[in-house]
Amino acid sequence: MFQAHHITKTFGNFAALDDVSISVRKGTVFGLLGPNGAGKTTLIRIINRITRPDSGELILNGHVMTDNDVLHIGYLPEERGLYKKMKVGEQALYLAQLKGLSEKEASQRLRWWFERFGIDNWWSRKVEELSKGMQQKVQFIVTVLHEPKLLIFDEPFSGFDPVNATLLKNEILRLKENGATVIFSTHNMASVEEICDDIALINKGQVALSGGVKEIRESYRKNLFHVQVKSDNTIQLPHDFIISQHGREGDLQELTIRIPKEATANDLLAQMLPQGEIKGLTEILPSMNDIFIEKVSNR
Amino acid sequence: MHKILLVIKREYLTRIKKPSFWVLTILFPILIAGLYIIPILLATKPLEKSTVLVVDDSTIFQKSFHSTENIEYRDAGSLDYAKAQLEEDNNLSAIIFIPARETQIPTDAFLYYRSDKPDVNVQSDVDRQLQEILRNNILLDVHNISAEDYALISDTKIKLHTRDLETGRDGFLEIKLAIGFILAFIIYMAIFMFGSQVMRGVMEEKTNRIVEVIVSSMHPFQLMMGKVIGIGLVGLTQFALWVVLSGIAIGGIQIANSDLFERAAEKQNISQIATKGVDATAQLEAVQNEAPLPEIIEGLASINFGLILSLFIFYFIFGYLLYATLFAGVGAVSDNETDSQQFTLPLTIPLLLTIICTVSFMNEPSGTLATWLSIIPFTSPVAMMFRIPFGVKIWQVVISAALLIIFFPLCTWVAAKIYRIGILQYGKKITWKDLGKWISSRS
Repeated sequence: MFQAHHITKTFGNFAALDDVSISVRKGTVFGLLGPNGAGKTTLIRIINRITRPDSGELILNGHVMTDNDVLHIGYLPEERGLYKKMKVGEQALYLAQLKGLSEKEASQRLRWWFERFGIDNWWSRKVEELSKGMQQKVQFIVTVLHEPKLLIFDEPFSGFDPVNATLLKNEILRLKENGATVIFSTHNMASVEEICDDIALINKGQVALSGGVKEIRESYRKNLFHVQVKSDNTIQLPHDFIISQHGREGDLQELTIRIPKEATANDLLAQMLPQGEIKGLTEILPSMNDIFIEKVSNR
Repeated sequence: MHKILLVIKREYLTRIKKPSFWVLTILFPILIAGLYIIPILLATKPLEKSTVLVVDDSTIFQKSFHSTENIEYRDAGSLDYAKAQLEEDNNLSAIIFIPARETQIPTDAFLYYRSDKPDVNVQSDVDRQLQEILRNNILLDVHNISAEDYALISDTKIKLHTRDLETGRDGFLEIKLAIGFILAFIIYMAIFMFGSQVMRGVMEEKTNRIVEVIVSSMHPFQLMMGKVIGIGLVGLTQFALWVVLSGIAIGGIQIANSDLFERAAEKQNISQIATKGVDATAQLEAVQNEAPLPEIIEGLASINFGLILSLFIFYFIFGYLLYATLFAGVGAVSDNETDSQQFTLPLTIPLLLTIICTVSFMNEPSGTLATWLSIIPFTSPVAMMFRIPFGVKIWQVVISAALLIIFFPLCTWVAAKIYRIGILQYGKKITWKDLGKWISSRS
């Protein structure tokens, strides 16, 4: 659906992006992660054709991107705002028309969205009378109104309260189900696990890590298992099976066990089975948060 | 192209809908009407009667003061007596006291006035009569010339007419000067006013953070030009409304108060005759003094307003475009008004300098300085508008106009480079060095 090949962008002597490539599959949610100043916003601006890369190319649906392609992109920037003195409806109409919708078409779609978000009675109010959450809703509507095939959200959850953040998350997932492809950058790692299919972690202008969220978490596995076992006796394991946490409630014991690299869950089970009744066994995969911190602080 | 029209439409409509636009649009014609009607109202207002007591210890002025329509002179004997009277009777306004003289010709006189009733009219009339009486006295005593003879001599004048060599018509230099000043000032104000509106508009978009949403749908250049053109159209609309509304206001006043004008004219004649006293030549002078009004009308008629208006529109449009794009660039690098000041200064200097220089253009509207300033693009709108009423050589207008047209895309190019990068820079203070880098960078 969308690829960026070998994007390089320098500001003076500072390399904001150094040979960055990403690939986004159609109908997926792609997370763009990275610490502050890593170059995420620069990459997003390049995708939106706001800034030009020094080198590299952008491919959308198999062809090199042109200026007209921005009509098929919906962009919610991190730094976002509205004209304070303008009426909500007029403003939404204006921004929609800039994305190529006719006034009539835009008006119809806006009415639908305003009703859906429960803000239809705000149509003739000035933006400055709106709460921040309301403004965020208006901005979101304007971003998706022209039904873009590619949606780009830069830190979409910043400034949203939990209710609106959930609303937004559900809308993003609904758009994905309807066939849209989503790129979004965030610091919120919990949301990455929830909604992203693939990610790219950018650090110091380079891709430090990329791939599917599941695969990445698998590959960063620490061979940690969480086991619940019913037993009156203390569990005995070989010396290379390390019990890092141990809790007991009556005869139910909860253990966190690190197994040797070459061992599998079956080996652990084989050790445990004779010692009690296994109530549950799950592998603890590292959170994206842990991976993020490890990857960023290691370099 | 479609998008730039959308921007123009938004910029235009949001400004036209603002109450402040209409307040300014209506206030200006009211101001013009006020300037027009107030002198007439003042002229028709009857003056209060004043009485002045004369105490003349020098014996030269005695009985020579003659009462006018508004001021009555009354002999009062001694100063102490007059002072007592002035204190008691508040219908009296002042005492003119001339002390006994020590020399042949008295050098000092004193006007005592009630502190609650200072009156400039009384003072000026007393002064005038003092000088006149003293002069007539000396003329008669020393040179044996009568007052009537002197009036005849002093009123004998030759009138100097100015004639334009080409047209053979009256030069009307004063009227041209006035029009030149007004035109130069209006264009100066207009460029400033609408230029800084562009700057504030850009700054608003930047600080509101709406700009990133917009530039993801269109080129920054389209946004910038849309704003510049939209606000320019607001300016042209305002001018058109001002011209129409001022015309209506003045026309309305003339129709509603046609008798007021007659009264004003009559009143002027009477007072002129009255102040001149019984001089034989007074009638004649009063008639002569009436002349300026038709002269002004004739002078105005001699000026080619069609040419002035079309050149005014041209220089406003291109002068505005030149500055407005640069103001847009300044807005893009400023997060607030204070930030913008260091960058607006170089923009304001050429305009301000030209408006100051117009004072020296008065002597030489086609002098070296005036000519150069009316050709250099940044100063030409103001300087050329000042020179136009005096007549400017056609090649100078052509060069000036051509340079302005050529410089417009150049300025736009520079401004667009600054604008494109500036609007997306947040929180960082931008220096002149940065600007240089941005301008020299490849796009």
